[in-house]
Amino acid sequence: MKFIKNHITFILPLMAILIGLEFYFVFERTTKSYEDGLKNDYSMLIIAHDKVEIEELQKLNTHIATIEEVQKDGIVDEISKGLKESSKENLSKLLPYFYNTKLDTYLSMEDIVNIKADLEKSNKIKSVETFDNSHDSTYKLFVFLKFIFKIFILFIGVVSFFLILKQMEVWSLTHRERMNIMEIFGAPLFLRSAVMYRIAIIDAVISSILISLVFVYLKYNWVDSSGIEILVKNRELIFQFSDLLKMLGISMLIVIASVYLVVSNLKDES
Amino acid sequence: MSNSSVINASFLNLSYDDGTTEIIKDANFTINKGDFVFITGPSGSGKSTLLKALYGKLKPFNGDLLVGGLDMNDISKKDLQKLRQNLGIIFQDYKLINEWNVEKNVALPLIIAGYSKDIQNTQAKRLLSHVKLLDHIHKMPLELSGGEQQRVGVARALSKNPFLILADEPTGNLDEYSSNVIWDLMENACEQLNTTVVVVTHKIPSVFTIPYRHLIIENRGIYEIH
Repeated sequence: MKFIKNHITFILPLMAILIGLEFYFVFERTTKSYEDGLKNDYSMLIIAHDKVEIEELQKLNTHIATIEEVQKDGIVDEISKGLKESSKENLSKLLPYFYNTKLDTYLSMEDIVNIKADLEKSNKIKSVETFDNSHDSTYKLFVFLKFIFKIFILFIGVVSFFLILKQMEVWSLTHRERMNIMEIFGAPLFLRSAVMYRIAIIDAVISSILISLVFVYLKYNWVDSSGIEILVKNRELIFQFSDLLKMLGISMLIVIASVYLVVSNLKDES
Repeated sequence: MSNSSVINASFLNLSYDDGTTEIIKDANFTINKGDFVFITGPSGSGKSTLLKALYGKLKPFNGDLLVGGLDMNDISKKDLQKLRQNLGIIFQDYKLINEWNVEKNVALPLIIAGYSKDIQNTQAKRLLSHVKLLDHIHKMPLELSGGEQQRVGVARALSKNPFLILADEPTGNLDEYSSNVIWDLMENACEQLNTTVVVVTHKIPSVFTIPYRHLIIENRGIYEIH
């Protein structure tokens, strides 16, 4: 019973940290996917006196990812109904060139204003339309949600870290006597602390596997019934095998650092 | 120090609090291989402190102290670990590891020295049979009486055939039966294996049958009684 209690008191805060971490991974992946969606939906309109190539624009600003010329014919047809063919040709010659431009990432309004300014430095470009209002409000909401979520995860992390510190105090008391006795009989430090490292590593493995199982369950059973569209669409992003490896690595680091602190503390006392 | 000396103290001073609390002053004595030595003295005279100095838990404040040829004034961490691995130490409060069973406690010095599991088990069984506790081999220390725990402590001290046994009031709280078993074992170790034994005690037992030396601590000095 005592053995189980000792493990659980370490596994629970470790699981809290790992759950926060896994939520962070999932959130980063889903927001990245959402961000890509926003980025793909967003485009600027470049109005140019003359034809421009993408390389020219990329020299002006590296965030330019693609450009697509808007065919003049459609515009001319639309605005020249009832005009003579010769007038249509003249109109076509007078019209500037239009380009739908996509960016390489989802940027703030400030960055977009900078891009506009960079592009408008070119003599070929007459003006750039950025459609700022809708972009700005979406971007701000997006950044706010990301920020809130990160704060929440940080809070979980800090609380769990204090729980781990508390558990380390318990460990110090539990192992002090055994380690002192072993020291009297000439045991080197690694042998004295081996038991603690073993327990801690087992706990790290158990915690990582448990959290992985929770997320595997969410991925394959809960997501469909939740009806949350963004999750259903991005099911593959909820848990990936590499997450288990990352959690194992991070939990190992945490437990090894914790045991090292306990051992150093006991070493100083002896 | 002669070839046969195991412990050699020369103008040894022991103190706590960086010299402010003087325990032993200018002590000179030698303990040779195969000696059985009782160290007696009133409570608080420094008997246990002397024992601590002998296994390196307390450094001499002044003077020289050699144990097994090693200078305890500037012994390295590694040498101290090696020295302790070759000592058998018995405490009044047993100092058993309560999370380990009796067998593993007895095998502790062998575990530390890296002996195989087979050797650990065989040696633990042999010694537990000597201290008449073979039936309790899988029990935890807290399931045993005080006398039984101390017999486990003695078995542990003997498990690696140490060149020196240090015992701090080994029979202090024990019944007559357990005390006799413990004295028998220590006499045998000294007589048959030529192990040096240093016992700190209030009173020399009357049942003792082999020749022994008697050092007494009085007024911070150590004197031999002939």
